[in-house]
Amino acid sequence: MTAVDDTMSSGADTGAADAAPPEGVTVLSDLRSHLRKSKAGISGILICSVFAVVATIGPWLPFIKDPAQQSLPDKLTPPVGWGGTWAHPLGTDQLGRDILARLIDGARISLLVGLAAVFIAAILGTALGLIAGYVGGKIDTLIISAADVQMAFPGVLAGLILVAAFGPSVWLVIIVIAISSWMVFTRVGRGLVLTLKTSLFVEASELSGAPSSRVMWRHLLPNLVSSLITLCVLELAAAILSESAFAFLGFGVQPPRSSWGLMIQQGRNYITDGWWIVTFAGLAISIVVLGVNLLSLWLQSFNDVAEREQIILERPGG
Amino acid sequence: MLRWLARRIIAAALVVFVVTSLVFVVTHVFTDPATVSLPLEATEEHRADRRAALGIDRPLAVQYWDFVSGLVVGDLGESFWQDQPASKLVLERLPATLKLVAGATAVTVLLAAPMGMLAAWWERRFADHAVLGFSMASISAPPFWIGYLLIIVFAVQLGWVPTFGSRGFISLILPSFAIGLASAGRLAQMTRRGIVEELRKPYAVTALSRGFSRSYTIVHHTFRNVASGFVTMTGWELTRMFTGYTVVIEVVFAWPGVGRLAIHAIENRDLILVQAAVVVLATLVVVTNLLVDIARRMIDPRVELA
Repeated sequence: MTAVDDTMSSGADTGAADAAPPEGVTVLSDLRSHLRKSKAGISGILICSVFAVVATIGPWLPFIKDPAQQSLPDKLTPPVGWGGTWAHPLGTDQLGRDILARLIDGARISLLVGLAAVFIAAILGTALGLIAGYVGGKIDTLIISAADVQMAFPGVLAGLILVAAFGPSVWLVIIVIAISSWMVFTRVGRGLVLTLKTSLFVEASELSGAPSSRVMWRHLLPNLVSSLITLCVLELAAAILSESAFAFLGFGVQPPRSSWGLMIQQGRNYITDGWWIVTFAGLAISIVVLGVNLLSLWLQSFNDVAEREQIILERPGG
Repeated sequence: MLRWLARRIIAAALVVFVVTSLVFVVTHVFTDPATVSLPLEATEEHRADRRAALGIDRPLAVQYWDFVSGLVVGDLGESFWQDQPASKLVLERLPATLKLVAGATAVTVLLAAPMGMLAAWWERRFADHAVLGFSMASISAPPFWIGYLLIIVFAVQLGWVPTFGSRGFISLILPSFAIGLASAGRLAQMTRRGIVEELRKPYAVTALSRGFSRSYTIVHHTFRNVASGFVTMTGWELTRMFTGYTVVIEVVFAWPGVGRLAIHAIENRDLILVQAAVVVLATLVVVTNLLVDIARRMIDPRVELA
């Protein structure tokens, strides 16, 4: 009997230690020193921060023109270096609107749609994954089958049918991206829960009479966070790419609002006498997605225990 | 093997059934083809007429039964934009899409396998970093933008290939690369990772220590063990192509495939035709997954008969 008590109390201790602050502090300082070693991590964070700042305060930046301001005499002005002037550093489009201003305006839509879609997918997917993994049985089979069906019915197809039925809108794009990504979180979350479920701290919590909801919320979820954050970053890259594709097809933001994908759609008839419209809009998407991808690459390498230990060992004085 | 196959086929058919039912719910319960086809200001009378003409005034259960029994015999309804059976329109466009996917798969495999092997051969050296750089760039750039860049450089500036449309083999090149580059980038990294892991295993270490060269060991030993994963990932890329890339790239290159047909159908408010295109593409995805499972099983008998 004492033996059981011992296991229980030590199990409960493990559970408490997982959420204790000292642990978190070491992880953070490890993260910082890991970052200093990683060029990918630094460039990723740099690109993402610039993107986030520009998307948030873009319109209030100095020297930025009104993205909707048309000026037909200035139409298709080339960028600086190709015969243009600093009045329009990246040139103008077919209606004489400033490309740089439109790129900054479009950053907002990309960030908004990307974050919203990943947020919805992560919450929904993780909840389902936790339930499937922890409760098991018929509910597990049901959720996993749903995830399998979703895999066979990816985003663009769902997008086609929903846009055909309800007409284009930004909200629809957010929902479509979210429903094409939730099952990723479900599968990963479920997998992790299945391995954690047999841990001592989970058993201890169950034996001490905690309801399933508490076990899932207080004990399982905190252990999923680091993997799920990495996954969120990875899915954010996919979401920004999807948003640009939907906007390009004309399913998302409608003119006169601008979005990077929409700029490419509108600029495609001018690729012979205005190559810069399509080129810069695509470059903006690529750089941001590259930044997010680099960030996710770095987070993955940090989560990879072997590689992390290698880097911590190499740390001077560590 | 046969029992496993039968089970897989039944499961695949079930997935097709569920997916098409979901499509039916969207197109007939949340809205209906008559409402979509008419402008907002259409009169109630006009709507009722159109509903009756399309048979949408009947009970949902009857419509669903019609839809399902139609599916079984390949009847996907009547397109009112083109005034022809929707299945005929989609099947006419299918060869073009399949050609495009075949071209893109060729680009993917022919780039990814050698790049993955080279990166593993020169692990942590210049070639490895170069391949990683290519992968990061190719998966970060939107495929439709790669398409326009290829058009600007190779069709507009250099004039080597036609810009749009499908005129024989040569016009297949640019769209195949536009789709295949991202897939090749992902697959090359996966191949590299697989080979590097395999090279640490005892059998590979033995081969190396007996004096076989690194390149020989990679080509003849480790890559074979990575092959089953390679096929699975190629299958994944194929499904991505069927459902995302082709639609967008067909629009960029004015390629007469199923994806562009679906976009035109949306522009013409032809819900029945969109539904037919989506059902056919989703079925292709399921069939691809099935074929990949079978191929894996044939390549690597150790794969569990799950």
